[in-house]
Amino acid sequence: MAAKILVIDDDPDIVDALFALLEGEGYEVHSASDGEEGLARIRELNPDLVILDLLMPRLDGYGVCKTLQDPRWAKWKEIPIIVLTSVSEEASQRRYELETGVRMDVDDYIEKPIDPDVVLDRVRKALARRGI
Amino acid sequence: MRKRLLYEISKPVIAAVGVENVLRAIVESITLGTEAKGCSLLLLNPEGDKLYHRVSYGISPEYVNKGLIEVDENVRQVLSGKAVFIRDVAHDPRVQYPEAARKEGIASILSIPMRSYGGIKGIMRIYTSEPRDFSEEEIDFLDSIAELSGLVLEKEEEHDRLAHEAERVRGELRRLSEDRERFLQFIRMVAHDLKAPLAAVQSYIKVILRGSVGPVTEKQRTWLERSVKRIDNMLQMISDIVDLSKLEAGLIAPELETVSWNRVLENCVEVARGLADPKGVRLVVEIDPDLPEIFGSEIRLCQLVNNLVSNAVRYTPEGKRIFIRAFQDPDRVTVYVEDEGCGIRPEILPKIFDDFFKGDPEAQEGTGLGLSICKRIVEMLHGRIWAESPAPGRDIGTRVTFAIPKGAVCDLAYRERRKEDES
Repeated sequence: MAAKILVIDDDPDIVDALFALLEGEGYEVHSASDGEEGLARIRELNPDLVILDLLMPRLDGYGVCKTLQDPRWAKWKEIPIIVLTSVSEEASQRRYELETGVRMDVDDYIEKPIDPDVVLDRVRKALARRGI
Repeated sequence: MRKRLLYEISKPVIAAVGVENVLRAIVESITLGTEAKGCSLLLLNPEGDKLYHRVSYGISPEYVNKGLIEVDENVRQVLSGKAVFIRDVAHDPRVQYPEAARKEGIASILSIPMRSYGGIKGIMRIYTSEPRDFSEEEIDFLDSIAELSGLVLEKEEEHDRLAHEAERVRGELRRLSEDRERFLQFIRMVAHDLKAPLAAVQSYIKVILRGSVGPVTEKQRTWLERSVKRIDNMLQMISDIVDLSKLEAGLIAPELETVSWNRVLENCVEVARGLADPKGVRLVVEIDPDLPEIFGSEIRLCQLVNNLVSNAVRYTPEGKRIFIRAFQDPDRVTVYVEDEGCGIRPEILPKIFDDFFKGDPEAQEGTGLGLSICKRIVEMLHGRIWAESPAPGRDIGTRVTFAIPKGAVCDLAYRERRKEDES
């Protein structure tokens, strides 16, 4: 069975591009356009992997990560998360944490604009860590 | 009398600090020196039709507050530059407040004009309790003292004017600096808004190029690859502008910490290999393994070296070398990046650290901001950066060196310091 990936991003073009790329590789792809919808979809779909944008309306990526740490979400806590950032420097993870003061418990980071090879590589690695 | 009076006056006047005290010393010592009852300095109001008490000695507050003095025929005479003596205050119709003068016990009044550069400021009045005369010589002398008072007052006005002006300029500076902050913030917002759509377009193109949405013809591939390059450059420019505005606004404070020079340089060498290897450029690295730590931003220090390396790679042909060297002496750490590329024309060397300066204005690669970002980062750390030719006279290679004092503490307000240094 194909791994199930949920893309949470408010930019429909980024979502479309990721859809084309990931579906082309045989993954089952779903999407949500903000953090709240994303959380609802996580409950509903129980995805194998979440690709999460940080800056979104309603509930942003940080909010989603924080919610997943709540004991009530324990069931979905272990879902690997790859964060999509629009920061193009090497040290983006560190930089985000510095700028926001939030230490995020995520598996990996992908920078926008997305590079297909990088995305597929990170997706495979994150899924492999989960034994998928 | 003159000598004694001069002595009486000059001693406290010289000792007095501040205009107020100087004026007080003058009226007091004139009173004592002329053995009068009191003395006051009356100033013209801004309209020039009334006189008010600026400072007095020897007369009661009631008398001082009796009311303003109209500029009448008598006063006008004094203001025109001529001393007027009223010997018998009780019976002279020229006195404006005869009742107050009687109560105060004033017998005669000598009025002397107070001159200054800017014209007549007002009058000096000397009150006596007994009717008495003043000699020509005495009046002459008092006239000089009155003039001195006028000059002191003029200085005070000038001082007030300057203080007022300084306050205005301070306000103006504050406003400008707030405007500047707002503008820098605006730049960051615009940059972010420009970046999102470009990132989306770039993502589409890359997915198309990968063939995920169907086959791509050779021609399409070529053009899409060129598009990717153009967009990459635009994205780089946007992030350079954001960085520039952050450095200018001193917004990198949260990034500051104690950083190991060796760690920074190791990271940079790794990045440099990633840039040089695919181009077939050889990297020669010589780094002192015992470099000290520095209080700064690791992100910015990496950016500094990476910018230099990425320039070097851009201008170095396949098969040639790039050197990264880092060493220390007792008071500083020096790093240079040298290439065997085409070199920089000596006449443009001094300009290469300017914002948006490009050696080849037509070049599509490069934003013209890389080195100006480097310069800001180095200056924040109290250091110096310069470019030179490693082989002067021959058009081969460029060496960019920066030296940062040991123990330097990153200074976010370096812009102010830089301006002070310049002025």
